[in-house]
Amino acid sequence: MTTQQSSAPLVTLKLLNKEYGRFTAVNKINLEIQQGEFLTFLGSSGSGKSTTLSMIAGFETPTSGEILLHNKSLINVPSHKRGIGMVFQHYSLFPHMSVRDNIGFPLDIRKTPKAERNKKVDDILKLVQLEDFAERPPTLLSGGQKQRVAIARALVYEPEILLMDEPLGALDKKLREDLQDELRQIHKRLGITIIYVTHDQDEAMRLSERIAIFKEGEIVGLGSGRNLYDSPPNAFVASFLGNSNFIKVRAVSTSEAQFEQQTLKFREQTTPIKTQADILLMVRPENLHVLSEQQAEQEPLTVEMNQIAATVEETVFLGESYTCSVVTESGQRLMSKYISKDHCEIAAGTDIVVRWNVNHTNVYDQWKQSDITKA
Amino acid sequence: MLLTPQSIGWKLKSTLYFITGAIASFLALPIFFIVALSFGSSQWLIFPPPHWTTKWYERFFDNPQWIEAALTSLQVALMTSIIATAIALPTSFALVRGKFAGRDYLYSLFTLPMIVPVVIIAVATYSMFLSLGLTGTLVAFVISHVIVALPFAMISIINSLKLFDKSIENAAVICGASRLEAIFKVTFPVIKPGIFAGALFAFLVSWDEVVISVMMASPELQTLPVKMWSTLRQDLTPVIAVASTLLIFISIFIMLVANILRKRSL
Repeated sequence: MTTQQSSAPLVTLKLLNKEYGRFTAVNKINLEIQQGEFLTFLGSSGSGKSTTLSMIAGFETPTSGEILLHNKSLINVPSHKRGIGMVFQHYSLFPHMSVRDNIGFPLDIRKTPKAERNKKVDDILKLVQLEDFAERPPTLLSGGQKQRVAIARALVYEPEILLMDEPLGALDKKLREDLQDELRQIHKRLGITIIYVTHDQDEAMRLSERIAIFKEGEIVGLGSGRNLYDSPPNAFVASFLGNSNFIKVRAVSTSEAQFEQQTLKFREQTTPIKTQADILLMVRPENLHVLSEQQAEQEPLTVEMNQIAATVEETVFLGESYTCSVVTESGQRLMSKYISKDHCEIAAGTDIVVRWNVNHTNVYDQWKQSDITKA
Repeated sequence: MLLTPQSIGWKLKSTLYFITGAIASFLALPIFFIVALSFGSSQWLIFPPPHWTTKWYERFFDNPQWIEAALTSLQVALMTSIIATAIALPTSFALVRGKFAGRDYLYSLFTLPMIVPVVIIAVATYSMFLSLGLTGTLVAFVISHVIVALPFAMISIINSLKLFDKSIENAAVICGASRLEAIFKVTFPVIKPGIFAGALFAFLVSWDEVVISVMMASPELQTLPVKMWSTLRQDLTPVIAVASTLLIFISIFIMLVANILRKRSL
């Protein structure tokens, strides 16, 4: 990790901007992509993630800003000379060519000698397990096979970077997961840099080393999946990734807030929270523990725990887990998620307390209502 | 729930069959008559023919004027088809891919010859070629035919280009092909059926054209429809029925091929 950080980035985006008339699709983003990294652009449609990818590929020209590869500008390099591989959403195979010729196309364009071309195509066919389909036209392949041909075609000329634009979006869930695993294997084996675009957060988590979360043309979160999930940099990322409980409270000190009759503690922030400020506390449902009043008496509250009294509204069995929805006196609704193996259902109407660790509390003093209401 | 063959009664069903049959015959009978008359023995085009004969076909093929007219038609139609397609191809790319002001107006302009009465185009081109001294030449025939054939070639190509997924071309580009290479190696082969269908439609427009051709023709240079028209004004002979029959069957054949190609391009 440290060697990666210190070495020069493979791709650098500097104040990259793309405007369509008055609409800003990508708003001055900065990003460094390391050699060999699997980075995912995650965001909903219209967030600018695909436009950014298109600019790296050279299909869109930036309005302003810079794209550097090995510290050299790509802006005036046409797509076909960027030496980038790309896999498209709808496979985009050449329908008039066999699988073998599809994969051989980039080599034919480069006038690779016949023997070398055939060997490379055979090797890559083996890598994506399509040896038996080499002579077929792409129209006779299944969706998963088509996408493997597209991946093979993008890898055969050994590009430094592979761009993937929602490549698995058209496939069903099971096949998608198989291909995700396959893709992770390929990335490990070849050590190629992959920039992957998706709107599916599970896919982003499953595949990537780092995730860049896009919102309205900006990168609002950047880091490993774990990092972004555990300590979201803002309320939007907290709400966008996974499930979250937001509790709106008023700060009474730099590490305490008042909620109903209870004092809730949180960690001191790097920029201290102002007293009397309206703040947002975020707790993941799996960090919120529901205890019966009896249990609460038996287990005394430790210093690092927060506690709120509430009433169970509903408990839903989800197989490996339960989700329990509780309501506090003032009507604040909270979700708790717990493993079903060791627990049983809690009846609706039961008075309980919920507890969570101060370290599992994230604090935000700036947010928009739209950040925390899921569309 | 709707009008499926199972859901309607036999009365309504037979009425519908009857109406459909009547309309179909109304459309097809002229063709049937002409074909029958071309094989009839009567000099005066009596129907039904008293006897069957192929002598009018012999007359047709023995007359160098008819053959020459047919060959001229073929020549004009082929050249029209090639030139119209050659113009339509880049035009279609510009109209589908281009992002410029007035693109929709330009499209309307190119399809205008389909809407403007042919006789107006005929008069306009005639007066133009007259002042250029080009009436009665092959050049005049082809240029004026290209004007009316171009929209047909263009619409077919535009449709296949709109249906073509541009990311296939982009895939070729990112694989290392220049934009032009990608168009020639990937886009053209994929939309080939649409291009051919367009060429065939252009051919047909020229092959059947009579209004403009009458204006452009000279005694030395006339197409088959013009020859038919001028013969008809002098006397009524079953040879015209023969010419009509040949014209129709070649048209139908080309139409079928064009339609098959068009379906394949979709």
